[in-house]
Amino acid sequence: MARYLIVDSRDLTEYTSGRYIQKVAGKLKESGNDVTLFLIENGVIAARKGGEIGKNLSDLSKRGAKVVADDISCRARGITQLAEGITQGSVDQLADLIVEGSDKVIWY
Amino acid sequence: MATATATAPVAAPAKTKKVAIVLATASYQREAPTTVLRLVEKLLQRGVDVNVWAFEEAVTLTNKDQIDHNEPGSLQKVLGEKHPNIGRFIDQLIRAGLHGAKLDWVSCILCVQERGVEKHQMGGAIVGTLGDLWKFIKAADKVICIPTYR
Repeated sequence: MARYLIVDSRDLTEYTSGRYIQKVAGKLKESGNDVTLFLIENGVIAARKGGEIGKNLSDLSKRGAKVVADDISCRARGITQLAEGITQGSVDQLADLIVEGSDKVIWY
Repeated sequence: MATATATAPVAAPAKTKKVAIVLATASYQREAPTTVLRLVEKLLQRGVDVNVWAFEEAVTLTNKDQIDHNEPGSLQKVLGEKHPNIGRFIDQLIRAGLHGAKLDWVSCILCVQERGVEKHQMGGAIVGTLGDLWKFIKAADKVICIPTYR
């Protein structure tokens, strides 16, 4: 089992590859890995409560992946409510994940 | 007869001590340089040495001749008087490394020459070759490649 940290800095709806990064996260989790999807910059747009894509991320979290949204990126975009299963984090948390909480980092 | 189960000691995952970051995005384009600076600051605070390899447009981030322009008068109450340039923040992070974990900021030689900024690189930034990038990657515990996308 490996610990994967996937950092998503893009709006998942803006690029068609956005759906693949969600699939990668899901498949890695299904394969028994520890997966954290950290949303930052425009990546947090998908975390907004009520959005279609937020439901996918909630589903990902129900399947055992951790989904975290960067606080400053959320505030910059006026996102105050997150979809179910998504927690708010910070760059401090991201640094901790890089230093001690992951084996591989994928930045999308 | 009950037998004792031998449990092999599980080694704790090694702590990351060195991170290489590859960045190709300049300021005024994307949020990536700001995010990288936010992250570098936190990594340095945790005692992690950081190598940033800047190439393509990212080599203009360390242009020492950037000017802080005035913000529009009507917005100065919100934004402050001047619009700070990103080179200043990079300079501060490099200087922070004098007394703790170290930041090396290397600008690709081909990219600085193509953009005419080789002689404009600020003190502290190093102009390097792809050989340096290779050594950074080999030496790093983790490599973070920030994607360039349009």
